[in-house]
Amino acid sequence: MSDVRVPTARSTVEIGYGGNERLMMNMGPQHPSAHGVFRAILTLEGEEVVAVDAVIGYLHRCHEKLGEALTYVQYPSIASKTDYVAAMTSELAYVTAVEKVGKIEVPRRAEYLRVLVAELQRVASHCLWLGTWCLDMGGALGGGATVFLYTMRERETILDLFESLTGARLLYGFHQVGGVRYDVPAGWPEQCRRTIEQVGQRVDEYEAMLEDNAFFLVRTQGVGTISRELALGMGVSGPLVRGSGVGYDVRRTEPYSAYPDFDFGIPVESAGDCYARYRVRMQEFRESIKIVRQVLDGLPAGPISSRPGVKSVGQVRVPKGEGYARVEGARGEVGCYLISDGGPKPYRMKWRGASFSNLAVLPHIIPGHKVADVVAIMGSVDPVFGEVDR
Amino acid sequence: MRAVGPDGRDGFWGELGQLTRAVGRAMSVTLRNLFRKPVTVMYPDRPRPYPDRFRGVLALVYEKETGEEACIGCRLCEYICPPQVIKVEMLKAEKRNYAKSFTLELYACEFCELCVQVCPTDAIIMLKTFDLATSDRREMLLDKDRLHALGLQFPASWATGNRLRDMQAPPKAVRGEPKGEGKE
Amino acid sequence: MTLSPLTRDVIAAFILLNAIVLVVTYVTLLERKFAARMQSRIGPYYVGWPHGWLQPIADALKLMLKEDVVPTASDRWVYNLAPLVFLLPCLLIFATIPFAPGLGLADLNIGVLFFLAVSGLEIVGLFMGGWGSNNKYALLSAMRAVNQIISYDLPFIFAALIPVVLAGSMQMSAIVLAQQGLFGWYVFYPVIGQLAFLAYVIATLAAENRVPFDILEAESELVAGFRVEYSGMKFALIQLGEYAHMVGTSFLGALLFLGGWLGPGPAWLGPVWFLLKAVLVFLLVTWVRWSFVRIRVDQILAVSWKLLLPATVLLLLATAFVVAVGAGRGA
Repeated sequence: MSDVRVPTARSTVEIGYGGNERLMMNMGPQHPSAHGVFRAILTLEGEEVVAVDAVIGYLHRCHEKLGEALTYVQYPSIASKTDYVAAMTSELAYVTAVEKVGKIEVPRRAEYLRVLVAELQRVASHCLWLGTWCLDMGGALGGGATVFLYTMRERETILDLFESLTGARLLYGFHQVGGVRYDVPAGWPEQCRRTIEQVGQRVDEYEAMLEDNAFFLVRTQGVGTISRELALGMGVSGPLVRGSGVGYDVRRTEPYSAYPDFDFGIPVESAGDCYARYRVRMQEFRESIKIVRQVLDGLPAGPISSRPGVKSVGQVRVPKGEGYARVEGARGEVGCYLISDGGPKPYRMKWRGASFSNLAVLPHIIPGHKVADVVAIMGSVDPVFGEVDR
Repeated sequence: MRAVGPDGRDGFWGELGQLTRAVGRAMSVTLRNLFRKPVTVMYPDRPRPYPDRFRGVLALVYEKETGEEACIGCRLCEYICPPQVIKVEMLKAEKRNYAKSFTLELYACEFCELCVQVCPTDAIIMLKTFDLATSDRREMLLDKDRLHALGLQFPASWATGNRLRDMQAPPKAVRGEPKGEGKE
Repeated sequence: MTLSPLTRDVIAAFILLNAIVLVVTYVTLLERKFAARMQSRIGPYYVGWPHGWLQPIADALKLMLKEDVVPTASDRWVYNLAPLVFLLPCLLIFATIPFAPGLGLADLNIGVLFFLAVSGLEIVGLFMGGWGSNNKYALLSAMRAVNQIISYDLPFIFAALIPVVLAGSMQMSAIVLAQQGLFGWYVFYPVIGQLAFLAYVIATLAAENRVPFDILEAESELVAGFRVEYSGMKFALIQLGEYAHMVGTSFLGALLFLGGWLGPGPAWLGPVWFLLKAVLVFLLVTWVRWSFVRIRVDQILAVSWKLLLPATVLLLLATAFVVAVGAGRGA
């Protein structure tokens, strides 16, 4: 019995040929649980997956080229379209990079508002994660759909908050270089407190539904284990790496914005399987709600931007230099590397998408599991293909 | 089928008890939701409440005092638009300039509100409606007349150029009136 | 005018068939509304306003008018016959169910045996559908289905046999008559009744491919499983068969465990009680379906062979012992 390379165009994993008949099945870009446009060519032996060949690029929209063509005042609203599920943190990465390179000050109130929306966005994004993950595992007609509709109900209340703040529900354009564009309207903090109170209670309800549930546990425990070495070696970040025992969170390791002012915990689990990542994200719900409460209690008065409001397209000029800014998005570390040549547009802008690095573990953790586990694992990795393909 | 829950109780009866409790809990959550009021809003039979700052369809407005078109054809909105959907031609006149033609491709618009933000005369605004669905995309290529008609037809959002810029500006040395909307 | 027995039976069968199809179609609406309310939404509303009363009719019409897409590479005869082979057993099971004393098509004295035997035949149609479609997803799903349904037919049969043993007869009307009085229902029989009913519900979930055992259709993985290549009327027949089987096992459950047509009030109210009890069983199964995620096929098989089958066998032996000792009812 010799080790044979499976003849695919981009084989990355060597597997031993056991002599059984193999079936190559395509979980194509159009698939109810592909979490976006993602093509996984699975090599199956019966019910067990032997190799995974991941094909991405179906959502490539030339963000990095757009970053060179659009100015610093135009791009932030485009930046939200990379990780469109957690748009606030995507915009934050870009404007933080510009402010780092240009050494632009941001007023305290703006920093607090940025933290506020980033944490609310994290809660909303995790609501979507939980819903779609249960939907994949439970079926579009079944208990999964029930959890999906419940979490969407909660996410809608948070999106209503964002709509009162910025006017948009999904792609906000909230950040600008030097601060934020919108200030909180009257009555918003009370609405925000009520909303997160309700979300916190409902999250407890969902945990009760899933936590001890034997069906849920057998689907998620021991499935898709990312070992600590693999996590550190592949450069994954976010709940994936925290579920594998590494306590890496950009908000703690390299604090940005106003995070040093707040008291919050970083949940870490050591098992590395889907269940551990689930626990990490459920705990993150609670930590984010804690941070939101602290921000609302301590919001300082003051201006919301250190730069005047956008009046012309070439308004912001950044001196020559380069820099990299990283933020903790809902999926992991989102980074933006910027090279500026002194003009109103960057010379080069590169996105480090969290999901791009996170997806790289799939060919390593899926083989050995059954077909049904593929969707459970993909759901717990929680990719958003705007970030992957940019 | 081994289900090792958080309290790690093994053994047949422990597992069975845990399974029963978990099943009961899950089903009781579903049952509780059975008796909650549905969250469905029967749009379009019932109107949807729009927040003040809703970024809806774009429109051009007239000046309040004179009743003339507010747009001076300065093309700032054209330059700032990221997907470049606005095309303006200026018409010079004696007292002030106008826009000879103003086209906005709503089907490609991102609704980012940057054009509203830069407008020096608060001419272009966003409305509290999004419902402009048609079956012909050409109807969404809005020309100046259509934009003015829309501005008269639907309620406007709070945001205009000056208000947004005032909200965003850092405090100047001398500032008389209080700023935009209520802050905390 | 006297009708020959053959004509009478044919007319009765025709009436029963139409009634069943109507009931099954409206049961889909009931499920959708029930599931919707559990999910904080409303369900079908506008078609047949209000509350979607014409929705099932609209769905049936739509499926009838749809184009029948047949894959070129499919196995022609197997593919085309599969929906019929699937549907026939699912409708045939209703022949033995008595809706009231004397109101049944064929109240065989081996009624339960006939029901269980015929309902197992649907697996042939299912596999024909998966094989004939010439589609990897369909084939995978069909293979899982064969595994699963065969594994769960055994606990299903044993659970259904427990009331048979308690009543001492396989004739369905006899089983119902043995459950006189509210607490005579077999579901209230101490310990054995509740456990048997529980096992019956679980086995029904699995034999019907309902979540948490619906790995064979698994929309998020296999996109409709063995039905994926069917469209139009053939798909309608498969759906009809599935729901008819579901309703049929609900009727059987109501008959075996909940006392069939017995209930307070005049005798003509019997079929109404029967329908209500069957709907109760159906809603119970639906409630479970909309509350849980599904489990993997190897876990499903593990539950069946390692948990449910030994449990139902033991339960059956215990019932037999109880009856033999004399605490049971019936001959």
